[in-house]
Amino acid sequence: MFALLSFSGDALLGCHRSYRSRPTHGIGRFKYLLPKEVPKRKKEKVQMKEISEGTEYQYGDINIQMTSYDVCLVEHFAQYVHRLCNRLSIRVNESYAMPTKTNEVLFLEERGSKMQLDAVLTTHQRVVQIRGLSSTFAPILLEIIQSNQPEGVHLLMKQHTEADFKSRLKSRPELEELLAEMS
Amino acid sequence: MAAPLAPGSARWVCSARWVCSARWACSAAAERPWRLFGAMCLLRLPRITQPLEKEEEEVAALMEQLELEKSHYSDHEIRKLEEEEQLRRKKESLYDEDEARGQTVIMAQDLEEKWEQKFLRFKAAPRITDADKSNDRKSLNRKLDSNLMLLVKQKIGNQELWLLPQVEWQPGETLRSTAERAMATFLGDHIQAKVLGNAPYGIYKYKFPRAIRTENNVGAKVFFFKAYLQSSDLSQAELKADYLWVTKKELGDYLKSEYLKKVNRFLLDL
Repeated sequence: MFALLSFSGDALLGCHRSYRSRPTHGIGRFKYLLPKEVPKRKKEKVQMKEISEGTEYQYGDINIQMTSYDVCLVEHFAQYVHRLCNRLSIRVNESYAMPTKTNEVLFLEERGSKMQLDAVLTTHQRVVQIRGLSSTFAPILLEIIQSNQPEGVHLLMKQHTEADFKSRLKSRPELEELLAEMS
Repeated sequence: MAAPLAPGSARWVCSARWVCSARWACSAAAERPWRLFGAMCLLRLPRITQPLEKEEEEVAALMEQLELEKSHYSDHEIRKLEEEEQLRRKKESLYDEDEARGQTVIMAQDLEEKWEQKFLRFKAAPRITDADKSNDRKSLNRKLDSNLMLLVKQKIGNQELWLLPQVEWQPGETLRSTAERAMATFLGDHIQAKVLGNAPYGIYKYKFPRAIRTENNVGAKVFFFKAYLQSSDLSQAELKADYLWVTKKELGDYLKSEYLKKVNRFLLDL
């Protein structure tokens, strides 16, 4: 029977699977030998990582925030600061971007017909978070970053607080309403 | 970054050592033969960026050209092209009635001309100020692209020397407050300066000449602190002695060589 099928040159030609009665049935199985995988949970709630408070000789979490109207400048500067911290072996917790804010500038000229010239300005912000900056080295780092600051970029260094973390998350008013109703 | 980094790490180590020795010294105050001074290096930060080098300018021009060729058209440019098309078609043939509905009041070309005129009216402030041309070293408006430091003429022993403002340390106060006091004596109380950190940036020690040297008074150690000038408005400052604002390169004209060596170690000039 099998020989006839192979001669006919049909779809069953490339089939090397042994049937259940053959002794070699299930010869390639290995998945049952691997350790059991825990099924991944879908979406975990974003937990806030612990904010370390500094000791007397070390700062805790510090945010270096860079704001500018120009995306390329601010991104390149953030990259530069990140790499500088890597080279100086300062631990960088995270490096993220805040959502961009768009401002519309309207000029109201009152000569004859009221004309409105529009300009659209986008403000971009990048944050590099640092941990474990020693107090003797902090002013030197600040000086290096300040002297390498490009034009048009505002620099702000501050301690990381819970409010900063919360500002990255979007609030869900419906969820809050329902929770308030429940409790 | 190698040059500024090496002094930084060396400074860190020597400031840690200084902390240990200062604590030890405070307990045995009577037998110390060195007099301590706290000096303040007041820096005015640069206000504009330094001009690019030749290679940097060439690279910048090349990158700009590359990006221009790779980029897509913006909304404004698309609009301008479409309107030019319309105008061209109007001139060649009479399709006015069909396209007159989509006619905008303001053409993109007009907007561009308006922006050009506005740009021509804008005048940027000069990079080289009057103080630069007259080389007036007492004004803060000079050399807007580099750090300016305060130098004061002080009387040490029987010599009048140009130094960073320094004042003797009194027991019971921290060295940082000594440096702040030094700044206050020379510039008055209403200085908005931000001192960077509690650790000194450098140290200069010298022995007194043999004539004055005694058992208890071998020499003096000067600890340098750095501060940034926040406001450039010094009208309220009462400057009592001769003062100068100089850049790092011009320091050599005024400071002694040994002193200059130690001061140059902690000055960052990028």
